[in-house]
Amino acid sequence: MTQEYIDAPPPVALGNLSATTGDAPPVTKDLTYERILDARSEPHNWITYYGAYDGKRFSPLDQINTENVKRLTPAFVFQSGSSGLHAGPSTYSFEAAPLVVDGVMFVSGWDGFVWCLDATNGQTLWQYKHAIPFDVSLCCGNVNRGVAVAEGKVFLATLNAHVVALDAENGEKIWDTTHGDVRAGESATVAPLVVKDMVIVGSSGGEFGVRGHLDAYNIETGERVWRCYMVPKPGEPGSETWPDDGEAWQRGGGNCWVTGTYDPELNLLYWGTGNPAPDFDGEVRPGDNLYTDSVVAVNPDDGTIQWHYQYTPHDLWDYDSNMENILFEQDGRKLLGHFDKNGYFFVLDRTNGELVRVTPFVDRINWGEIDAEGNVTTSVYPEKEGEEVHFYPGPAGGKEWTHACFNPETELFYCPVQDTGSTIARRRREFKEGMPYWGAHVIVDSEDMKGSVTAFSASTSEEVWRWETDLPMCASVLTTAGDLVFAGEPSGYLNALDARTGEHLWRFQCGSGHHSSPTTYSVDGRQYIAVPVGWGAWVEGFLPGMMGGPHGSAIFVFALPEE
Amino acid sequence: MLVARAREKQLSQVVSELGLDKQNKGTIGRLLNHGGIGQAEEGADGRMKIQVRIPEDELTYSPSITVMPHAGELEIEFFNDDTNTHCAQVPSNGDYQWIWLPNGSRGKVTVTLDGPGYYWYGSNVGNDEGRGLMGTIVVMGDVPEEARLDRPAQPRP
Repeated sequence: MTQEYIDAPPPVALGNLSATTGDAPPVTKDLTYERILDARSEPHNWITYYGAYDGKRFSPLDQINTENVKRLTPAFVFQSGSSGLHAGPSTYSFEAAPLVVDGVMFVSGWDGFVWCLDATNGQTLWQYKHAIPFDVSLCCGNVNRGVAVAEGKVFLATLNAHVVALDAENGEKIWDTTHGDVRAGESATVAPLVVKDMVIVGSSGGEFGVRGHLDAYNIETGERVWRCYMVPKPGEPGSETWPDDGEAWQRGGGNCWVTGTYDPELNLLYWGTGNPAPDFDGEVRPGDNLYTDSVVAVNPDDGTIQWHYQYTPHDLWDYDSNMENILFEQDGRKLLGHFDKNGYFFVLDRTNGELVRVTPFVDRINWGEIDAEGNVTTSVYPEKEGEEVHFYPGPAGGKEWTHACFNPETELFYCPVQDTGSTIARRRREFKEGMPYWGAHVIVDSEDMKGSVTAFSASTSEEVWRWETDLPMCASVLTTAGDLVFAGEPSGYLNALDARTGEHLWRFQCGSGHHSSPTTYSVDGRQYIAVPVGWGAWVEGFLPGMMGGPHGSAIFVFALPEE
Repeated sequence: MLVARAREKQLSQVVSELGLDKQNKGTIGRLLNHGGIGQAEEGADGRMKIQVRIPEDELTYSPSITVMPHAGELEIEFFNDDTNTHCAQVPSNGDYQWIWLPNGSRGKVTVTLDGPGYYWYGSNVGNDEGRGLMGTIVVMGDVPEEARLDRPAQPRP
């Protein structure tokens, strides 16, 4: 007997079964490259990853200031949570920097989510969900660091290494370009950067032995304009820093998983690169291993490397240098400041990469020493197979990828500091494509750790003040013209500090640890502080002592009470 | 390959002997992904199709593993042969596609998956998920040549 079936109701997009309205005002339609160049002239907006190309994470907004910050209160909370089985199921969390354009927020979450929100009340205007394979290779959790917006589009790098352009008014896909090879262990977590008519996207996959690269795509078509590999082939400049008779360069690492900064006058991108691979077994890759653990100055017109500075030659400690290179000027000189995982604060001449100053910024450093001229002497590193060594800072670094900031009014840098060690032993393994390729066993300390937000003079690099914490500080900090520094803790507290003195002024318990990049904006004259929270990602690497912390996922948005 | 097939056969046999391929036999539910494997058929237009059934009292999608030969568009036609109401939340670029599957119903869902890997879907209504109504869509193949790394072929496990 043939079974008679009734028709099931037609399928629907899951987001339609929510209070999402489905459309947003056309706020990004006229958001041009010229406006991004002059981002700080529209302080009510936060239109690019760092707020402006210079990476300062400084806002001229001053409605919230040292006098009234104690009255700061939540204006709204956006939450998503987790549904079903997704990649990296134990590790999802926010790591994004929310962008805001004329009252509309664009923010990415884990597992391919992008949300467009009313920035005054958290109403979801649209959502996009990219389908991410469960088995995609992720070194550091199911995370994404944010989106870029321009010319009516939202740009997203997905965990399965695609670059997607969405219609900023409704979240509909405009183009989708494959950016990397998931079968090779590549992924993508970076917040893209729009420069001219291109969107710049870097690779992830440093723990899987990929060959890192930085790519540019045409923002209208998604066509790749150039690709710049961060490990040279034999015969190319820098190849002399790799063994000339081996295959090490093919799996050399040097990924580009954090957004770079840009100087339009010099027409140079400053992009940080990641660890060499294998992370801890240097014997298979003798040499300095360029351009890993470096800042590379890249011409955005053709993707060529103009100069480089390597912060940790021949890295044996997983000291990626992906984190920000903050652009600032002093005595008419164009400089950049960079707090490296290796525990040193570098100031370079950004016209040519010449070292200006280098000083330690974390208390415990024993892996080696960098002298005033930049010469490196190593002390503690995994050398003999199976023999454990203990070193500071651990592989998460004296500062992780999360960002420092610079306030041009106080002329101080503010750095979230992690003071944690780690035990490792070299464990050689063969390279096999798609498999983790560390060359070691690793146990990061869960005790005897501390942190701080530390302020450093832009003119001397000397420490000016320090706000100390029991746990390492793992979230980006934000500074404003209200003379404030905002800093989230792994415990869930968001803190406001006096930018000039470090005095603690206010705190709020957000219920889950901070590992993201807060931003600020204003709508109709009211200033807001947007703070993504959620504990997960690579906790075993940067703070295993908090592996059991609450795995929340929310964006808290704060403001002063309405009169 | 023969060894692998023998191991798979042995695994299925042991799962069956332990009663893990039935509801409320070896344990509370049915072991995930033990509802068989099926390959989607590709049409002339490149769209792939498969039929997936929910057999009575099995709380599983059958086949519970759908194999797509490459990335692209997949049409799944669900048949609910069970005496309870279920659903399917299936990942797709843009948003999950979600469908009610009342008792004795059939319905089609079309999804787009843009690259290799495996993707979970499930019935996210009460009673269903942990008991076994989770399915996998496997996308085989490689990424486009232009997206691959410029390096010689590398050894794989």
